[in-house]
Amino acid sequence: MVRMFEYAISLVLRRKFRTVLTSLGIMIAVMLMTFILFGMTDLKTVLLSEITTRFNPQDLYISGQDNMSFGGMAMAPSKDEKKKESKILTEDIKQEIEEIEGVTSVEPLLFIDGLEIYLENDPVAYPIKMIAASDLKGSHHIFKEFYGEKEELGMYEMYVSKYVVSFFESTQEDIIGKKVLAKSSSTGSFFASSSKSMIDKEYEFTIVGVVDTANDAFWISNDTALEILVDLGGFENSSDYLSNIGYFQLYMTTQEGKTKEIEKYIDEEMGLFVISSDAILSLVDTFTAGLTVALIIFGSISALVAAIGIINTMIMSIYEQTKEIGIIKAIGASNTQVLVIYLIQSMLIGLLGGVLGLIVSFSIMKLSDPIVVDMLSSEGFVQIEEFFHFQPLNATIITLCSILIGTLAGIYPSMKAARLDPVKALRHE
Amino acid sequence: MDMEYIEVKDLKRKYKMGKDIVVGALQGVSFTLKEGSFTSIVGSSGSGKSTLLNILGGLDWEYTGGIYIEGKNIKEYEPNYYRRYIVGTVFQQFYLIPSLTVEENILLPIKFQGKRERDINERLEYLLKKVGLEDRRKHLPKELSGGQAQRVAIARALIDSPKIVLADEPTGNLDSKTGESILNLLEELNESEDITILLVTHDMQVAKYTPEVITLVDGKNV
Repeated sequence: MVRMFEYAISLVLRRKFRTVLTSLGIMIAVMLMTFILFGMTDLKTVLLSEITTRFNPQDLYISGQDNMSFGGMAMAPSKDEKKKESKILTEDIKQEIEEIEGVTSVEPLLFIDGLEIYLENDPVAYPIKMIAASDLKGSHHIFKEFYGEKEELGMYEMYVSKYVVSFFESTQEDIIGKKVLAKSSSTGSFFASSSKSMIDKEYEFTIVGVVDTANDAFWISNDTALEILVDLGGFENSSDYLSNIGYFQLYMTTQEGKTKEIEKYIDEEMGLFVISSDAILSLVDTFTAGLTVALIIFGSISALVAAIGIINTMIMSIYEQTKEIGIIKAIGASNTQVLVIYLIQSMLIGLLGGVLGLIVSFSIMKLSDPIVVDMLSSEGFVQIEEFFHFQPLNATIITLCSILIGTLAGIYPSMKAARLDPVKALRHE
Repeated sequence: MDMEYIEVKDLKRKYKMGKDIVVGALQGVSFTLKEGSFTSIVGSSGSGKSTLLNILGGLDWEYTGGIYIEGKNIKEYEPNYYRRYIVGTVFQQFYLIPSLTVEENILLPIKFQGKRERDINERLEYLLKKVGLEDRRKHLPKELSGGQAQRVAIARALIDSPKIVLADEPTGNLDSKTGESILNLLEELNESEDITILLVTHDMQVAKYTPEVITLVDGKNV
């Protein structure tokens, strides 16, 4: 077997240029697969790490309606799953939840949508028309990082995210103390329809802190938000708003070990929509797994093309080596040995493509890593020093797959070589 | 020594040349050869010499009749075993692998069997000396003359110490002087190695080198 291996290597080395050209097909497929597998695994790690740093395992988010899955965009529920009716998150519900054993805190969250947001003396509006509201302190772990002196928001005081600072080309020090104007717009927004009561409304806030949040760019207190929501919606007072519209979400923390039990109670007994860190993690898991599978299918097409390339090259080689096959058969090589020699050749082409693909992919990954890290950091991912990591298991799987592709592609040509009639092969010119 | 070593009985081989045309390349060839004999098979083009050699060399098994070596029907052997250990074949065109050196070409049959390299080295040295190519062992076939290439082919045929060597027009591609040296080498090997040599040629001058001659005419021995 070792001698046949040596002989197969000598055949491959005899046509170095063609071997390298053929293995380029596999190399490209391997590069695609490497970027897909490694990239997706690294992306998943980054997302999970981001989520686990922002959300504690004991945290739960509660909503009165199914707005947890991005309005059904991420996970469209079936008719059966949609049985649960929407409920208003009133003060009474909030109190009921607070009284559940094992609940440590319940923080209501509100949301104002559809106002054009400007920084003073800047004519350009911030691209997202959303203001979030909560009574969480600036030092709360949900904000990750906080810069500013006021840890609690007063009326018409505001925290802005690092995004806002960079959008308005300011610095954390300079932006504190500046005013933010939120003006009604007749066009509404993607998420909120405009209403008559929104016409000519304008609110002014003072920036008192900078926080690090991925999506929510502006934070105000619940009291401020309620005053604005009452005004915008034409309600009598905040009680009127809360009993008719309710809180957007309730953010709660639980005692360790009680989370699952409380999640179940809120979901099944109270009939509310609840989402835990686990559910978010599993959503990320499902999302990245689904995306990986889809991308692998695309990658497989290039592997198929590479396999056809190998088949073509091997058939050409066998045509050229017909006389040699005749000679080795005449001096005692069996059909099986000829088959093995040619399978080893195609396997070697696969291996070469696999190794080259991995080397090139890793070089590109290493070179582009700082750029990816910069991009992710600017998107609010704060825990990243390195995005791409070498994963020995995935590298082994990819190499084995490229050898397998080479071997499978070599089956037909090798069988063709093994079946050659030695008399005809020796006469071949 | 005098027993009938090879027995060819009523050997027939037909080829289909078209839908309805069947050509009988061998039409009942029969002969016997003694162990250690040196025999020529002569015949003009189309007489069936090459067909006979392909069958005796284990390259063609589509025949009727029988070939017996030491009383055993060769069809009882695995084709590759037969080609490896029972017969060694020398071709007119040498059929050396261009990318392999003299030494590697001679050792090529070993690649397809389990013999250890060190077991075969002694045999290699002996054969290189015998065919006079000790100083050419690292040369490629393109660096050899026709006579030297044929000597490499002979050494390759003998590396596994076969009982029988078949030579298909071994001097056909060589000038008369070189051809003569090859025939002398075969004659010497026949004596020193005690192998049975069957030489196929169309040249009566070549056939004169062998003590026995079988003549083929239109697929029959006369």
